[in-house]
Formats: sequence, structure tokens, C-alpha cells
Amino acid sequence: MAQITLVEAVNLALKREMERDPAVVVLGEDVGVDGGVFRATLGLIERFGPERVIDTPLAEALITGMAIGMAVEGLKPVAEIQFSGFGYTTIDQVVNHAGRMRHRTQGRLSCPLVLRMPCGAGIHAPEHHSESPEAMFAHVPGIRVVYPSSPRRAYGLLLAAIRDPDPVVFLEPTRLYRLFKEEVADDGEALPLDACHTAREGSDVTVAAWGAMVHESLAAADALAEQGVSAEVLDVETLKPLDLDTLLASVAKTGRCVIVTEAARTCSFASEIAAGLAEEGLLSLLAPVQRVTGYDVVVPLPRLERHYMPDKGRIVAAVKKTLAFG
Amino acid sequence: MSVVARFEIRYSQFLDPRSKVVAPLPEFTRKTEDLAKLYRWMVLMRAYDAKAIALQRTGQINTFASLLGHEAINAGIASAMAKDDVFLMTYRENGVQLMRGVTLKELFLYWGGDERGSDYAGPRGDFPICITIAAHAAHAVGAAYAMKLRREPRAAVCALGDGATSKGDFYEAINAAGAWKLPVVFALTNNQWAISVPRAKQSAAQTLAQKAIAAGIECLQVDGNDVIAVRHAMDEALERARSGGGPTLIEMLTYRLSDHTTADDATRYRNPDEVAEAWKRDPIVRLRTYLLAAGAWNKAAEDALLKDCNEQVQAAAQAYLDTPPPTAKQMFDHLYAQLPAVLHKQRAAALGDD
Amino acid sequence: MKIFKLPDLGEGLQEAEIVKWHVKVGEEIKADTPMVSVETAKAVVDIPAPYPGRIAKLYGKVGDIAHIGAPLVGFEGESDARDAGTVVGVVEVGQKVVSDAPAAPAPVTAGIKATPAVRALARKLNVDLAMVTPTGVDGLLTAADVQRAARILAETGPIEMIRGVRRSMAQNMELATAEVASATIMDDADIDSWPAGTHTMLRLIRALVAGCRAEPALNAWYDSEKIGRWVMKRIDIGIAVDTPDGLLVPVLRSCGERDATSLKSALEKLIADARARKVPPEELRANTITLSNYGSIAGRYASPVVLPPTVAILGAGRITKQVVVVDDRPAVHRMLPLSLTFDHRVVTGGEAGRFLNAVIADLQRAT
Repeated sequence: MAQITLVEAVNLALKREMERDPAVVVLGEDVGVDGGVFRATLGLIERFGPERVIDTPLAEALITGMAIGMAVEGLKPVAEIQFSGFGYTTIDQVVNHAGRMRHRTQGRLSCPLVLRMPCGAGIHAPEHHSESPEAMFAHVPGIRVVYPSSPRRAYGLLLAAIRDPDPVVFLEPTRLYRLFKEEVADDGEALPLDACHTAREGSDVTVAAWGAMVHESLAAADALAEQGVSAEVLDVETLKPLDLDTLLASVAKTGRCVIVTEAARTCSFASEIAAGLAEEGLLSLLAPVQRVTGYDVVVPLPRLERHYMPDKGRIVAAVKKTLAFG
Repeated sequence: MSVVARFEIRYSQFLDPRSKVVAPLPEFTRKTEDLAKLYRWMVLMRAYDAKAIALQRTGQINTFASLLGHEAINAGIASAMAKDDVFLMTYRENGVQLMRGVTLKELFLYWGGDERGSDYAGPRGDFPICITIAAHAAHAVGAAYAMKLRREPRAAVCALGDGATSKGDFYEAINAAGAWKLPVVFALTNNQWAISVPRAKQSAAQTLAQKAIAAGIECLQVDGNDVIAVRHAMDEALERARSGGGPTLIEMLTYRLSDHTTADDATRYRNPDEVAEAWKRDPIVRLRTYLLAAGAWNKAAEDALLKDCNEQVQAAAQAYLDTPPPTAKQMFDHLYAQLPAVLHKQRAAALGDD
Repeated sequence: MKIFKLPDLGEGLQEAEIVKWHVKVGEEIKADTPMVSVETAKAVVDIPAPYPGRIAKLYGKVGDIAHIGAPLVGFEGESDARDAGTVVGVVEVGQKVVSDAPAAPAPVTAGIKATPAVRALARKLNVDLAMVTPTGVDGLLTAADVQRAARILAETGPIEMIRGVRRSMAQNMELATAEVASATIMDDADIDSWPAGTHTMLRLIRALVAGCRAEPALNAWYDSEKIGRWVMKRIDIGIAVDTPDGLLVPVLRSCGERDATSLKSALEKLIADARARKVPPEELRANTITLSNYGSIAGRYASPVVLPPTVAILGAGRITKQVVVVDDRPAVHRMLPLSLTFDHRVVTGGEAGRFLNAVIADLQRAT
């Protein structure tokens, strides 16, 4: 078992699955010879050849559409969109075709593709490289949206995504790509989709997060523990379809909930969870649900990045607000 | 300055509008019975088309996009394709669908707003109708890539319209197809109209075929009202695709004799004189005239054919009307391989409303 | 130009040959006029004009093939095809004209602030949230508040709902307090000269009549909406009677016209009936002034409640021996304390004072 980073875990999963299933192909810009701009596909072309590891022209709509065609024809494409900001170009193909192919043909055709994209802020990059598009994708019927928060989770969830018979948008938190390492067994074991993962047990408040914000939430939980507050941290992992039941069970136990996302506030995925808790968990709540989110602004350039991003401090403040309520 | 590249676009026609043979006929025309078969299909297509319009007018199907005038293109494309090739279409190639085994009833189901119409019993691998323009060009690239990867002697045929050639998806697709030398044929129906936008306003390019030059792939123009020209071009393009020669773009020139859809009124934007003129190039009349002159067709055959087509179409329409409508359950069936737990509640609520 | 296309000829026929034109360009024709004969595989068919009009164009010559759905004849004038206004589906056309309703003033919400969990707790403990004093921030009702209220209620027992006569009193007094501009004058009547056995109530009634005669303004009804009054001629005195069921105010009618005997028997009957709950409803209404002899139970001075639409109520306290000044020297006399409450919206202090003086003057007579 090795201690690896998140991006290395992605690489490991791809290697593992391409070995196991000859139908798996990888495509995207610079994924072959360059090993991917973040090195997520490092070593794949050497091992599996240029026919299965495809350097595409610069064309996101093509990449996504082509992945759809490949998937319908029986391949299992894992397409990489280089940056989340370029992911918006894919929305037409994802919304209008990937999510619909099975239903449109009443099950005759299906579309088992994975669309990977690095997203989230915090890498001090120029514009368009810090987006959080998860709510936009989560809104689309017929697809899954998966967002890992650590190397181990990324490995297992990517395997699950590739093996899933339906289209999966797999969002990777860029900031966590190399931020820390974790022991990951290369055992080819997929982790469950459609389920929230309890990253840390607690009793006073439920903190729900995904992606890089899980890391912040765990740090906040540590800080809160020093102050005698026991925070339960839930890693949502699969945003669509959402496992609301685990969230409800947690809130039934704690009575308080803080949802953390770095995406802009309005119509963020935090709003969806808050609505679900209001509809089905209202009587458990001792305080209003708090959303800790990015502001409704364009994700700022590096100079202001830290003002925008939710961090441990803001999460702790939100938790305290729920505790002070009464 | 020196010239580093030139291009030329060839145009192919075998039967002129008066059915005169203007070029040496290809091999497949020797068996006039085969040509008569094409003729039968074309007449069925038109009978189906007329029935669909009638059904729409009486509120029994929803908006319908007619293929009036495109019969030669449909028959030429379909007759060149192999069974295990893959066809990707817009919404106006119902004729190709018919020839590849989609039933009339399935077509009526689709236009009647029932997804079961896309669950073809016949050509299981063909892509369904793609409403968003040119999006399926990228799908064709993916499908062709899979075929090439698996070393299969199969090809993808992507049907598009003149409007589609303005879309980014189209350029991206022909470019990638060329870069990877994929087994795909882009069969471009240029019927001169993209709803109300005439061809001259759609692009400054002299021909649409020449967009292929930009992608570095083979191309030509054919008379889309001459089924022999269409078929021959398709045969050559598919041969090239299967033998590793890469993609082809075939621009098939014709005219949209109908409105864009049954909800459209083309008299708003085009001159009926032009339409009347275009009728003189009717592909069905052109082939029939040739077959009659070649002794391969006669009035008795015509009468029998019309009767048969009428019966088929009526029977299929009745079968469609007799099909019980889908229930709310259809919204949730086949949304995922297995409906996620969180959607079970929604489905129950939707079914409760039934 | 209005284009007429060759219509469906039936039986799956797709085209027909033009055999003969029956109309010319420029000709004015009526609807149903045969325009052209066409020959199908089956027969020669005449195509009639679908509507009247002037022929603008004929599409095709004799011998040409005419196709179903192709232009056949052009008529002069604008195409009357109704614009569907879409290329897909159907966009419904409605004729209704709507306009923005003027914005209603925002309602003032002064609701009880409690979270759903706390409300659920209150329901469970059978606590009326309106009865609970909130201690949370900004008037928030907390779970602790609800539990406290529940404990208190457990000790006090269930609420007793007030009904019947007491309910009417509660409602009437609430209305009266909301409306009336109360003012009270108090004074004493020296009744030392009364012989033994004097009927206090009858003297009070007589004195009240005297007061009404002196100042009719206090024997009146007031309409606060119209800001108007009726000064009443008859003096119908409402007599406050304490009964086991509560306060009743039966009315002694026409006190100004009755003699002492009549008044006495009427009064006795009235009080007996009231105690026996036998007073008909109409005799509990429409008094012009009210008399409350609360002194028969306890108390000297009071500020009794004026019941609209009347404008005055005279209260009589307990008769006691008091030390008073007579001819500059102390003496012990029986004194009857009086409290006159009046509605100052319609009765002046002067009127009230003069009224009271007249009452006192009558009371201070020996008989």
C-alpha cells in the first residue's frame, strides 16, 4: 500500500481499470504524451498505447460528444476536460444527450461515460480555472455527479464511476490534488456511489461538505473539538443522486446543520440540501440550517482568492451561530 | 507570394432533371430491379410523409418535419449502408430509418410524442433522432473511433443539413474525423433552407462541401435529386471509410419542398414560384421516368405500388392509434440503468397522480 | 399571393397530370368553381376553387405533373394562413387582457416566533404558545419557555372557559373600555333625615329621575360613528343586579312616569326575576341610564363602567355614619357616597356636576 496524493490516486484508478477492462479509453487535451496538465494520466499512453489514450484536438464539445458516441458504441470512455471553466462548453452535450440517451431510446442505447474535470479555487490561477460547476451538473436528469475529497475516496469513487452504466461527471478538487497524501490500497475495489460518507462522527452539529471543503470542515471540526463542540462531518461525495437519508439521520442526532460549498451562494448545491432538510427534517432542527458558501461574485483572481473561499474560520463561525440559537 | 494549396470541388450527376443519362452509369444500375426497389422505397417514403402530415393536421401526432423532396437522398444513403453500420440522423431522414428496419408504427410513435418510437426493434445500434443541430456529428466521431479501435469493417454515417455546417460541433467533428482518419461519412443534405434562412445567407462558402477542405478530408457535391448519384457517392465514401481511407463529406443538393415543420408556414419567407420550380426536379418522377423508359416499370406496377403503400401506411397509422398511451411511469423508466433510491419517492408521487 | 396547393386526392395518390385549365389569370371566380381537371391513375378529377378570388397565377401547363402538396393556383391578396407563431408545438393564443393589480399594503406580521421543533413540543405538552413568555433573543420562544409554561399549567389545572352571563360581561366591558372616555365625579348625600325603613333603591331611582330632569344630557344614547346622540325622553333605568350567574342589568321602564307604588312592585319583581333568571332578553336591553347600588355589598366610591350607547352610570356606595360639619360643628350623620361616571365624549363636566347636585338634592330630602 502506498501513500499517494489525490491526483496520483486518480492515475492509479485509471491504470487499474484500463488494465482490467479493455473497453476503457481515455481522451482529452494533452492527456497522452504530456500525461495531462495535472499529470492525472501520466504513464497511461506508454502502457496502453495512443489508440486508448487519445490526445484530442482543442474542442470540448467534440470531446464530450465523441465520448457519447464511443459509449453508445460499447467503449467506456473517460474524457478529461482540462479545467472546470471549459466545462461549460460541455453542458450542451451532457444535458441534451449524455443524460438522455438511455431514456430517449427506452433503454435500447446507454451512455456509460465519465467526464473528469478539475475544479474549485485555491490554486492561484488566472480566470476560468477556479470554477465550481457542480450545482449546474447536479440539476441535470439522467447523470451522476461525483466529487471526491481525498486520495482514497478518489480512487474508489473513480473506479465506481467508470464501472457505472450511466454517465458520470467526476469533479476533482484541484487544490487537493497534491495537498496531502493518504494510504491507498490498489485493490481495484470501488467505493459506493449514491451515498454520503461519514468522514468524522460527532453529536453537536452536522457539517456537510464535498471536495476541498471536506478538508476545511475537518480542520474546523478539530478547532471546535478544542472548544468542546463535537462536529459530525459528512462528505456528500455523490451529489446526484443525493443521499438525503444519511444527512437526515445525522441532523436528527445533532439538531444543527452547516453546509459548506465554495460555489457561489445562489442555487448552490448547499441550497438543495437545505431545502431537503427543511422538507423532511424540520422537526429535528433546533436552529436554522446555515450555508457557508462563496459569494455571488465571479471567482476572484488570486489576489482576492482567500477572501472568497470559505475556510475553517467561517465554518466555525457558522457552527457557533447554530449553537447560539437557543 | 506563392500558392501553397488549391482546391476543387467535383459535382456528380447521372440523371438530369429530364431523366436523361448524362454520365456513364455505375455498375449497380445494371440490375434495373434493384433500381426499381429504390423507387418503391421512395414512393413509400412519400406516402408515409403525406400520412404523417394528415395525422398532424387532425391532432393525432404533434409537430412533424416532412422529408418531401428528399426521397432520393434517403434511399441513396440507406441502400449503400451495411446492416451493422451505424446511422446518426437529424429528424428528416425517416426514409433512411424505414429502409434500415425502423417500422412505420415506430415512426408514428416518435412523432406522436412517445419515446417507445426510438426503441427500434430493427436497427438496434442506430442513434435516435437528434434535434439539437450537429451535436450528433461529435457522436459520429466517437462511434467511428470505437469501430476503428476494434478494427471493425464498419462505418458511421452522419446525416446533417445545410444549417448544421455553421455549428461549432460540425467543424469540431469533421476536423477530428480527419485528424484520426475515422470511418465516418458525413452525408450533408443541402435543401437550401434552414427554417427561413436561405443557403446564401447561411455561409459565404461557395459550396458547403469545401468545408471539408478545411478539415483535410475528401468531399464532393452530388445532385441530391438523382438517387443514382447519391447512391454512387455513398458507395465510394463507405468503401473509403472501411478500407482505412478516412472520412468523406458529401454535399447532396436538393430542395425542401415542404415547410420546415407542420407548425411553420414557408410562404412567410419564400417565393412559391421558386417552390413550383423545384417541384420540376422531383426525384421520384425523375427515377420513374428513367425506369419507364428502360422498360423496368409500368402503370400496373405503379398502381399496385400505390395501393400497397397506401395499405401499409394506413395499417401502421391505425396500429399507432391503437397503441395505449404511455403512463407517467415512462418518465422514470430507463432514466438510469437502475432508478436511484431517491427517485422512487418521486415516481410514486407521479404515479399517484395518474 | 394566396397559394392553393394540390390537395390530397385520396388512396395514396401522390400526383396527377394536368388535363385542362378552366380558369385564366386575371379571372374573378367564385368558391367551388372548377379550376382545373387532373388525371390520376384512376380518373379525371376536377379541383374546385377553395374560396372566391382573382386568379394571379397558374402553376403548370396541360400535360405537366401536378404533385400533392405543391403550389397549384395563386390567388391575389394576402395569404390568410394564420401565423402559428412557432415552428414546433402549439403556442396557445388567449384573448384575455390582464393588468397589474395595485399592490396591497404589506401585512404586519406579528406572529409568535418559535421554531418548528418548539412548536411541536408545545403541541405535545398542550401549551398555548400565546400564553408563553419568550425569553430567547428577539422574542424567540425557546423549548425551555414551553417547558416552564407546561409546568405552571400542570399546577394551575385546566383553563375554565367563561360562558353565559359572565361572558357577556367580559365582552361588553371590553367594548365599553375601548370606546368610552370615562370621567367620574364623586360626592356624598347627607341622608340623616331619612326615616327608618326608607327604601334606598326607590330613593335612588327617584333621585336619578330628578337628575335626568335637571340635566337630560346624561339620559342619552351616543353614536360614536356618526358623532350624534339621542337625548331620551323616557327614563329607562338599567338596574345592576348581582346574581349567582354574574352581573345582570335588567331595565326598569319609564321611571319618570311611575308613582312610588308602581316603581316598588316593578323593582321587586325585576330583582326577583333577575335572580331567578326569568328576565326576558328584551328587558335586558335599551336602558337609557344605569344605576349600580354596589354599596349594598361593599365599597364607598367607585368608577363604574359606562355601557354604550348610554352615557352615564350612577353608583351608590355603602351608607355609613360619618363625622361631618354641620353649622361649623362636627356631627355624626348617615352619609350615602355617590360616584357618577359619564362619557366625556358627549357629557360635559358641568352637566355631570349639575346632574349630581340634583341627585343629591333629592336624596337629602327627608321623604
